[in-house]
Amino acid sequence: MVLDIIVMIKQVPDAEEIFIDPVKFTLNRSQARGVINPADENALEAALMIKDKTPAKITVITMGPPAAESALLECMGRGADRGILITDRAFAAADTYATSLTLAAAVKKIGRFDLILAGESTTDSGTGHVGPGVAEFMQADQVTYSTSVKIEGDTIIAERELEHGIEVVQTPMPALVTMLINANIPRRSSLRRRIDAMRKGIETMDHESLGLPPEWVGIKGSPTIVGSLKIPEEKKRLNKTITLEEIPEMVKELIENKAIVLGDDEDA
Amino acid sequence: MSEFDAIVVGGGPAGASAAIKLAQNNMNVLLVERGDPPGSKNVSGGVLWGTGLGELSDDWEKTAPLERYLESKSVAFLTEKSKINIDFSTKNFEEQKTGYTVLRAKLDPWLVKKAREAGAMVVTGVTVDRLSKKDGKVVGVIQDGDEITADAVILAEGANPRVAIDSGLREPLKDHDVAIGVKEVIKLPEKTINERFNLRGKAGYACEYVLGFLKDGVEAGGFLYTNKDSISIGAVISMKHLRQSNQVYSFDIMEEFASHPFIAPLLEEGRVDEYSAHLVQEGGLSSIPKLYGDGYMIAGDAAGFSFSNGLVLQGMNYAISSGISAAEALVEAKQKSDFSSASLSRYQQKLEESYVMKDMRTFKGIENVTWSKMIHKTFPSMLENVMMGLFKEEGKPKKHMMQLVLDSMSSSKIKSKDMLLQGYRMLRRM
Ligand SMILES: Cc1cc2nc3c(=O)[nH]c(=O)nc-3n(C[C@H](O)[C@H](O)[C@H](O)COP(=O)(O)OP(=O)(O)OC[C@H]3O[C@@H](n4cnc5c(N)ncnc54)[C@H](O)[C@@H]3O)c2cc1C
Ligand SMILES: Cc1cc2nc3c(=O)[nH]c(=O)nc-3n(C[C@H](O)[C@H](O)[C@H](O)COP(=O)(O)OP(=O)(O)OC[C@H]3O[C@@H](n4cnc5c(N)ncnc54)[C@H](O)[C@@H]3O)c2cc1C
Repeated sequence: MVLDIIVMIKQVPDAEEIFIDPVKFTLNRSQARGVINPADENALEAALMIKDKTPAKITVITMGPPAAESALLECMGRGADRGILITDRAFAAADTYATSLTLAAAVKKIGRFDLILAGESTTDSGTGHVGPGVAEFMQADQVTYSTSVKIEGDTIIAERELEHGIEVVQTPMPALVTMLINANIPRRSSLRRRIDAMRKGIETMDHESLGLPPEWVGIKGSPTIVGSLKIPEEKKRLNKTITLEEIPEMVKELIENKAIVLGDDEDA
Repeated sequence: MSEFDAIVVGGGPAGASAAIKLAQNNMNVLLVERGDPPGSKNVSGGVLWGTGLGELSDDWEKTAPLERYLESKSVAFLTEKSKINIDFSTKNFEEQKTGYTVLRAKLDPWLVKKAREAGAMVVTGVTVDRLSKKDGKVVGVIQDGDEITADAVILAEGANPRVAIDSGLREPLKDHDVAIGVKEVIKLPEKTINERFNLRGKAGYACEYVLGFLKDGVEAGGFLYTNKDSISIGAVISMKHLRQSNQVYSFDIMEEFASHPFIAPLLEEGRVDEYSAHLVQEGGLSSIPKLYGDGYMIAGDAAGFSFSNGLVLQGMNYAISSGISAAEALVEAKQKSDFSSASLSRYQQKLEESYVMKDMRTFKGIENVTWSKMIHKTFPSMLENVMMGLFKEEGKPKKHMMQLVLDSMSSSKIKSKDMLLQGYRMLRRM
C-alpha cells in the first residue's frame, strides 16, 4: 500500500524583511521575498520522514498567487512528488473560512488521502485556523500542536506538545495533523529533484476546476470583517546597571512592585 | 548523451553572464547558485567598471539596477588625525559610461533573471558538491550523491573555489593570494547623500583610502561609494598581516575606519542595512590557474581575475567578460561537438585577445606594491608631515617644500635613493 499524504503550505513574506510603516501602521512587504511558512517546512519534513520508512506519495498544495510556484518547486526539490498551485483572482482576500473551504475542495478534487499535514500557524496572519478548518470540512480526525507523527498500521501516532507535558495521540487514518514550528530539522532540496520538478512542472487549479461558485471564495466568501488594526505599544524598559551589593534591594523592590511573584506553583 | 550542454556553477557576475550568453545561443544550460536569492552570499564594493552588461542585454542602461554613475573619484591617505585627498571629478565619466555603483543584492538577481528569461534552467539554494569525472574528463557535477551530466562545466564559484580546489583544478588559496573585505551598507536619504558629497541627480562619488593609522604593522585599504540612498563602506585587509598579528580583527579595523574623524561625519544618522565579509582575490597573475581542460573552464574570481592597485578594485568587470568568453568558447566547441582541452583552449585565446589577460599581464606584481610598508605606513605619515610643514605658522622662517620632503624622509629613515626606486617601481606597476 502506498500512503497518500497531502501537505498544505503557504508562502509568507520573509519576516526579516518586513517593516512596519511608522506613520500609516501598515506592513511594508515590498522588499520581502516569499518564503515557505516555517511551520509548513516542518509539516513537509514530517511527511518526508514518513516516506523515508513507508512507501508514500506526497502532494503539496498551496493557495496563493502565481509566484508561490517557487515554494512548490522547493518542496518537490526536498522530495515531494507533486505540487499543486490553487490560484485564481477570485480567491483574493480570503479569510480563514474561505481559505479552508477552498483548500478542502482541492483535497476532494485530488481524491483519496490518508494523512494531511499542515503547519500549526503562519508567521504572517498566524490564526491557526486553517488546519482545523480543513479537517472539519473533510470530517477527518485532527491532531494539533504536534512535534512528530508516525504511522502504525491504519493509524497515526502523534506527539503533541502541551504546556504541562507531551500528549501521545493515536487515531485512525484519514487524519489531519498540524505541526509546530521547529518540530524537526527540514532537509535541503537536491539538485536532481529540483531539475526533475522543473521538468515535471506544477499543476494548477482555479475556482472552476474546483467546482466552487465565485461567491463562496475570496473576499465574497469571507464572513470576517476587520474592525481596526493596532500596533501594541512598546513597553518601556528600565535599563539600569547595578552593583552586586545593590541586588538584594533591587529584588525587594521588584517583589513589592509585583514584578516578581512568589508562589509554590511552578507554572503560576 | 549528456543531460545538459553546459552546467554553470555559481550565479555571480561570471556565472550568470556565462549562462545568459549560452542560453542566448540556444544552448541547453543549467545554472546552479547556492544563494537564495542570488547575491545573498556575495560582496562587492562596488563600482562596476565599464559597459560589460551591454554585451548581455540591450536594455541594461534602463533595467539594470545601477545606483549612480561615477562622476567623482578620489584617493585619500588617512593618518590618525589627517586626511590627504586627491580628487578627480569629470563629466567625461558620465559621457564615456566609465563606471556605476551597484549593490549585489540587486545586481545578482537581475543577472540571474536575465539568464532565466534567455532560457537557462536556474536552480538557487543548492550547493554543488564536486565535479563528476570520467577518464580524467569532467562530465558533470555531483550534488547530494546524484550525478548531473553536461558536455562541459563552467566553474564560476568565486574567490573561494572549493569545487575547483577539491577537484585538483587549482591550488589551494595561499594567504598571499587573498585579502579579507568587510563591508557595511549604510542607509541615508538620497538628499543627504547629495548634500554631503556635493552630487546632483544620479551622479556618484567613489573613494579609496589607505588606512595609514593602523597599528601593529597591519595593512589595509578602505573604500566608500555612494549608492542612490545608501553608502557602501568597507575595508580590505591583507590576510598575511591579520594572521601575523593575531590580536587584530577585521571587524575592529572596519570600526576604526568608520569612526575616523573624517569618515564618521559622512555616515552620521545612517542606519546599517547590510553587514558582510568576503574574500578578495589579490594574487594577480601568479595565482591564475590553468583556465580550461577536458570538459571544463574556470571564470571570474575562481580563476583569479581580479585586480586592485589602491586606486581601484576591479573584479566584476573581469567576471562578466571572462564568463562571456567561456560561453563563446563553449558555443564554438558545441558546433564541433568537441569538448576536449584542445577545443576549449579557445577560451584562453579569447581572454588573451580581450582586456582581461592583457590587464593581468600589465599589472603583474602589482600586489607587491600595493601591499607594502611604504604605501601603508611611510607615505601617509610623510605626506602629513610635509603638509603640516607647509601650513603651520610658527613664527619661524618657512622651508621650501623640497626641504620638507627631505626632512620628512630622514625622520622616517628613508634614503632618497630608495624612495625614488620605490616610486619608480610603483609607477611602473600601476
Ligand atoms: C484579522 C485578520 C484580517 C485579515 N484580512 C485579510 C484581508 O483583508 N485580505 C487578505 O488577503 N487576507 C487577510 N487576512 C489573512 C487571511 O485570513 C489568511 O492569510 C489566510 O486565511 C490564512 O490564515 P493564516 O495565515 O492565519 O493561516 P493559519 O491558520 O495560521 O495557517 C495554518 C496552516 O494552514 C495552512 N495554510 C494556511 N493558509 C494556506 C494557504 N493559503 N494555502 C495552503 N495552506 C495554507 C498552512 O499549513 C499553515 O501553516 C486576515 C487575517 C486576519 C487574522
Ligand atoms: C569587499 C569587496 C569589495 C569589492 N569591490 C569591488 C568593486 O568595487 N568593483 C569590482 O569590480 N569588484 C569588486 N570586488 C570584487 C568582486 O566582488 C569580484 O571580483 C566578483 O564578485 C567576482 O565575480 P564572480 O562571479 O567570479 O564571483 P562571485 O561574485 O563571488 O560569485 C560566485 C557565486 O558562486 C556561488 N557558489 C560558490 N560555490 C558554489 C557551489 N559549490 N555551488 C553553487 N554555487 C556556488 C556563490 O554563492 C556566488 O554567488 C570586491 C570584492 C570584495 C570582497
